Amino acid sequence: MKISKAMISELPDDLPKSSLLKEKGLIKRFTDRYSESRGRTIIYGSAFTVIIAVVAITLFLTLQGLRSFVVDHINFWTFITGTDWNTDQTKNPSFGAFAFIFGSMSVTLLAALIATPIAIGSAIFMAELAKKWGQRILQPVIEILVGIPSVVYGFIGLTVIVPFMRVHFGGSGFNMLAGAIVVGVMILPTVTSIAADSIRAVPDSLREASYAIGATKWQTIWRVVIPAAGSSLMTAIVLGMSRAFGEALAVQMVIGNATKFPHSIFDPAATLTTIITLSMGDTTTGSVINDALWSLGLILLIISYVFILIIRLLSRRRNV
Amino acid sequence: MVVQMENKITSFVNSEDVDRPVLINVEDTNIYYGDNHAVKHVNMPIHERSITALIGPSGCGKSTFIRTINRMNDLIPSARCEGKIDYHGINILSPKVDVVKLRTEIGMVFQQPNPFPKSISENIQLPLKFAGIHNKKTLRDVTEKCLKQVGLWEEVKDRLDRSATGLSGGQQQRLCIARALALKPDVILLDEPTSALDPVSSAKIEELLLQLKKDYTIVIVTHNMQQAARIADYTAFFYQGELVEFGTTKTLFTMPEKKSTSDYICGRFG
Repeated sequence: MKISKAMISELPDDLPKSSLLKEKGLIKRFTDRYSESRGRTIIYGSAFTVIIAVVAITLFLTLQGLRSFVVDHINFWTFITGTDWNTDQTKNPSFGAFAFIFGSMSVTLLAALIATPIAIGSAIFMAELAKKWGQRILQPVIEILVGIPSVVYGFIGLTVIVPFMRVHFGGSGFNMLAGAIVVGVMILPTVTSIAADSIRAVPDSLREASYAIGATKWQTIWRVVIPAAGSSLMTAIVLGMSRAFGEALAVQMVIGNATKFPHSIFDPAATLTTIITLSMGDTTTGSVINDALWSLGLILLIISYVFILIIRLLSRRRNV
Repeated sequence: MVVQMENKITSFVNSEDVDRPVLINVEDTNIYYGDNHAVKHVNMPIHERSITALIGPSGCGKSTFIRTINRMNDLIPSARCEGKIDYHGINILSPKVDVVKLRTEIGMVFQQPNPFPKSISENIQLPLKFAGIHNKKTLRDVTEKCLKQVGLWEEVKDRLDRSATGLSGGQQQRLCIARALALKPDVILLDEPTSALDPVSSAKIEELLLQLKKDYTIVIVTHNMQQAARIADYTAFFYQGELVEFGTTKTLFTMPEKKSTSDYICGRFG
């Protein structure tokens, strides 16, 4: 009793009685120590900046990308299905980008084919078999792999894979397979760490259930753990593919950048990203070529959105 | 000590199921988690085609003990077992035992229903497939038989291809029992199978266990003393890692020998 009385007496007598009411001006709201308005403004502001940036990029790319069809009257259908990319001719330039769309797709798929088995394998090793050892050795290795800049991957590809291809498969050595190998190694850590996380997320009760009905370790992994991790493993692969799809520099260094349609994986090719990075510097804004490159960028964006959509659908299925 | 106890038990027998031969005999078994001596010098018989209940307060070692009978504790790296659990003349704890084969003969059902996130029929067929049985007709027949055994057939026969995770908790637990029955084990171990279920589902499972004991040897860990009294032929009371008392359920509940047993049964601790 005494203490509480003493504490009350310490408080100023002129404490405003109406402090329950929010009667503050616009400026006072920001200067008042107890106001939440400042924090709220910063956080809402950051969130909206991100949203605005995404919307702005999409809008800008759409407007720029549609110029070649609307302003320059390039036929949309021949643009996405044509295989003749001849932009240097002043008289009759042709813009057929199918070779690059196909190049991007096949490099991505090949990279996924190369990376997936290794990534899932090492994820199983890390998350199921050698938990301690895997955690101590493999985890740092994977983090290092993530941290290596893409130009280094490209450079290693250029000095190791390209000569190897030249010796064993003929030609210049610059080809689609070389690009796929380089990108495959690049996406390996991404796929591995997400796959390992999704394997770890499988509840132990399922492993117990499996052992209790007389399963061996391998049967448990292949028939119970992997199927249970299923859709998140798919997410890992698709995420890796979307990284592979967007990679430009490393691919550009080893793929050969031929605008002709590749007929085998040992032919040089080009992808949407490599053709943009190679040609963009040589064009002037507003020229037909420049507009065509923007259209390639738009296609790239749309396909990236498709990847994100697939990931969303997969994760939604998981939550059901 | 054990023999003495058994002699006493026989004088109290009046249930028809308590004079079955011993199938599993536990002799001086110790279980450690690292330095922690979790189960101490346990001696007890498990009788064929009867229900043996393990009761005791939380952390008394009863779950640890039941998980040793089919070597599920092998999955815990720090767990270590000493002693002898005799089953058909073989020591279950011997490192030479094929644990995979052992678990097909001694099945287990867990506290939380844990069906695989697969179809209902696949949940029952998976143990068979693991054992190398792929004949479609056999698989279908066993599925139907096992689901009928647990009384789930009528409820799910139209949706065998649907995911097992869509079933109710009680149905999932009965599915898990059906899954454990698929390989026709000798023994079924149940680790608190009804503690995650509502009273109606629990009652169904108890009824089911009374049915199953005609063909199977059942060991059940339970927190619920009434459950032990209702269904078990034999009851073992564990306290602080020791087997305090073992006897027919009737003896243990009506005339317990040890004070701690009667204290626990009367609800004075636990």
